[in-house]
Amino acid sequence: MSKIWKGFLTALALTTLLMMSAAATFAQTTGSVTMNATVSNFVELTSGGAVTLTGNSGGSVITDGTANSPLAVVVNLGELGPSNTNSFVQLSVPLRLRSNVAYQLNMVSSVAGAGATSFSMKDTDVGFGLTPSARPANLAAGVDTNATPGDPTVGGSTDVNGRWVFAGANSTLGAYAVSGAVLNGPRINKTVAANSATNLTVPAIFAIKPQFFDPAPAITITAQFTVVAL
Amino acid sequence: MPRSITLILLTALLAFGAVDCFAQSTTGTVSMSATVSKFVEINSGGSVTLTGNSGGGVTTDGVTNSPLAVSINLGELGPSNTNSFVSASVPLKLRSNAAYVLSMTATVTSSGTTASKIGAADVGFGLGTASRTGLGVNAGADTNATSGDPTLPANGSVNGTTGRYEFTAVRSNLSAFSSATTALSGPIIMNAVPRSNANGLTVPAMFAVKPQFFENGTTTISVTFTVTAP
Repeated sequence: MSKIWKGFLTALALTTLLMMSAAATFAQTTGSVTMNATVSNFVELTSGGAVTLTGNSGGSVITDGTANSPLAVVVNLGELGPSNTNSFVQLSVPLRLRSNVAYQLNMVSSVAGAGATSFSMKDTDVGFGLTPSARPANLAAGVDTNATPGDPTVGGSTDVNGRWVFAGANSTLGAYAVSGAVLNGPRINKTVAANSATNLTVPAIFAIKPQFFDPAPAITITAQFTVVAL
Repeated sequence: MPRSITLILLTALLAFGAVDCFAQSTTGTVSMSATVSKFVEINSGGSVTLTGNSGGGVTTDGVTNSPLAVSINLGELGPSNTNSFVSASVPLKLRSNAAYVLSMTATVTSSGTTASKIGAADVGFGLGTASRTGLGVNAGADTNATSGDPTLPANGSVNGTTGRYEFTAVRSNLSAFSSATTALSGPIIMNAVPRSNANGLTVPAMFAVKPQFFENGTTTISVTFTVTAP
């Protein structure tokens, strides 16, 4: 082997050793994964199930509530004049609430097509109230505050003109011509999976006393509920 | 398609999917329809008053707020009855949530065969003053299509030619009601009050027969009142 070739091989070997040494010096031995996430306020209102219509004459449930589906109930209350001899025409609509934060349930309502005389049916002739029960153990502990007097068919009396008056404040749709709170409370659900069926079910009760109202062939009563996070 | 663009699209689809899975319903509606039909009602306004009778009597009396189905034996209508008139006053009670018309139809059947038998024209009739009193009764002016109390001197007299007593005023005897004819009409009777409110419009229906030398026999007088909402 020539001197020149020997020198070349020696230099190559030294370079390789240096490179291997450098590689060993910078080897990666740790790593990290960084994740960001959010838990947003969650409030939900859906139907709590089938509605209950009583005291009606010629009425019926047109679109019933289905538990855990969007609330879009349609009901024909039937005859509200004196030919209906029942004490009240009453509709009970179960509402289903879930939240991971304090909530407030609001309602806004309207009555249309009833006429415009003093004898026409008004929004104050439509009784309203919620009847929440104490929270079961599978929900977050807390007390819900009912802004209504409860079942509108309880109490009540006739006024100086003989017209039926529902008892208490916020007991008729007259109190909800603009959106107003009907129920509020602390967090509803414990830390459970989103598909957990646990919920707060609250019956919303509407009631009308059949009276000598002005004849009206097509009365429409609408109540819209909205739940918001406090 | 470049791989980078494919990755971006897949990421966007997954993000939208995640949002959709957690969509929450926070509103719901309850829609109610109803009807107030026209309502008119006639009932008994109470006990019948029978005067001037000889041997007669009230067979089935009126009972306030019960269906009107009175039965009266007017007794003797021949000259042996020395009273000026045999009169029966029957209280009627009307209620409505709309303008009303009270009509009447009457038949008089006598076993006699001559012109001297009792006929429809021999039975005086009239409505007294309509009374709208009590809680829940609407103020309003009623139109009496009769001449009032048939025994009033202004409403009848002896025919100067025949000597027969005749009820001569407008709609003052049953011959004017051989077919359904309006006797009373007026505006809405009841304010917006419950049906359980027992008040209403009361009006006496007065019938009178002048005892005369009628042909002997038996006579049946049948009167039917009907109230409608035009």
